[in-house]
Amino acid sequence: MAKFPSQEWVDLFKESLNQNKNYEDAALTWEGDFVFLILPDETLKAPVALYLDLYHGKCREARMLSSPEEKSAAFIYQGPYGNWKKLIGKEIDPIKGMLTGKFKLKGQAMKVMSYTRAAKELVETATKIPTEFD
Amino acid sequence: MWFFTGPSLAYGPGAIEFLASLQSKKSMIVADRALVKGGLVAPVVEQLTKAGAEVEVFGEVDPEPLMSRVQEGAEVARRFAPDLIIGFGGGSAMDVAKAVYALYERPELTVYELTPIVDMVLGVKSRLVQIPTTSGTGSETTWATILTEGEGGRKLELAHRELVAKWAILDPLLTRSMPARLTADTGADALCHAVESMSSDWSNPFSDALAKEAVLLIFRYLPRAMKVADDPDARENMHYAATMAGLSFGNSQVTIGHALGHAFGSVFHVPHGRAVGLFLPYAIEYNFASAKPKFGNLSQVLGADSVRSPQDLSARVRSLWDEIGMVRTVPEIGGITRERFESSLPDLVRRTDESTCVTTNPRSPSKKEIEEIFRAAWDGRPVTL
Repeated sequence: MAKFPSQEWVDLFKESLNQNKNYEDAALTWEGDFVFLILPDETLKAPVALYLDLYHGKCREARMLSSPEEKSAAFIYQGPYGNWKKLIGKEIDPIKGMLTGKFKLKGQAMKVMSYTRAAKELVETATKIPTEFD
Repeated sequence: MWFFTGPSLAYGPGAIEFLASLQSKKSMIVADRALVKGGLVAPVVEQLTKAGAEVEVFGEVDPEPLMSRVQEGAEVARRFAPDLIIGFGGGSAMDVAKAVYALYERPELTVYELTPIVDMVLGVKSRLVQIPTTSGTGSETTWATILTEGEGGRKLELAHRELVAKWAILDPLLTRSMPARLTADTGADALCHAVESMSSDWSNPFSDALAKEAVLLIFRYLPRAMKVADDPDARENMHYAATMAGLSFGNSQVTIGHALGHAFGSVFHVPHGRAVGLFLPYAIEYNFASAKPKFGNLSQVLGADSVRSPQDLSARVRSLWDEIGMVRTVPEIGGITRERFESSLPDLVRRTDESTCVTTNPRSPSKKEIEEIFRAAWDGRPVTL
């Protein structure tokens, strides 16, 4: 069981993603790094950023940043901690989450819309990690 | 949380007269080229001028409209400064009208930014009204616009909630002159919308209710509308069924049938309704295990006691296709050799995989599975993946 967000969790996520054949198939031509930005709410006191270097169906690097400003990425997917908890718990669909304002995506929207199957597999992978929350 | 959105509806024979009550001073009509040539835009212009509006007709829309056409239309809109934009025609004209409306309202946007995750406020300068002259596309109700990037280019599946029209005017009298082939193709498109909406991951109680009624009406009235051109009852029911299916999928999305059809249609230049209609039975078979209760529901709407196998529903669809002369295999389209089909497969698979329509498919298709569905559609054999 890994706590979200933490380096331990992001390590497990990288490992799981690199074993997910469906993700590899869907993201075979994807090039672009992501920051998952977890914004503070009544439970989380300060923002936490997780960096993911995603390239051709594999995750080359995954780590917790010391601060959201430490590294820029082509895409930032951000939302409050409570919504991340619901996303990982499969209570929020990742695309619907953006359409209903629970998450925001910064970056080239059209590119992501061509890889929605990969996005779904990415989140599906996160939902399978044994996770504990505050 | 989710939404159910759609335009207000003015419907019934002669509903076109509703236009005169919209109090427009400057109206821009975005219409199919063929309708303008045939003088079919005249009743729309008449209603608007009768009410005192100045009218500009942008009648340059062809099937599978290019992005460049939208830019031209937006230029006309910026120069004319309408307070009402009217999409008049089939899906192409209404799709172009949506994009023209967006770029007129927000000149700093590009077509590529018409995605649901971009913040957008429209409706400041004008209102959007849609008037379908075919019964199938559902574009009059939806947030989507399908544009082609360039000659032979990919189809961009763009969408934004702000692109939903203020009003849709459903006048079945406008569909009386539809030729039989167009009636069949557009009616098949409507059935695809309803069936795919019902099996979508985003289906909801409201979209399901509309999908079921649309399926019932389409099975009952499409063969009649096709065989007897001047059957007012069939025309009216098909017109409403298409809008119901549009409202349904506009709020739940379509699935892999449309992804396959968009890819196939853009590579081989096959009319949209025929392309998606071709793949519907194969999509049902592929998705059956993941959406069995939904397909069972539809089979029951059509009179079955239960649904046991994928073929129960796909066979019903194929039987309707036979009745209306719809193609069941790729070779039946005509003009596509096996060699050309085989060499196009990698491109077809890539385009399908990149389609936003697979996002809400109840089953996540691998590239290999997509290729297998295309091969099944060539051979005319059921999908057993």
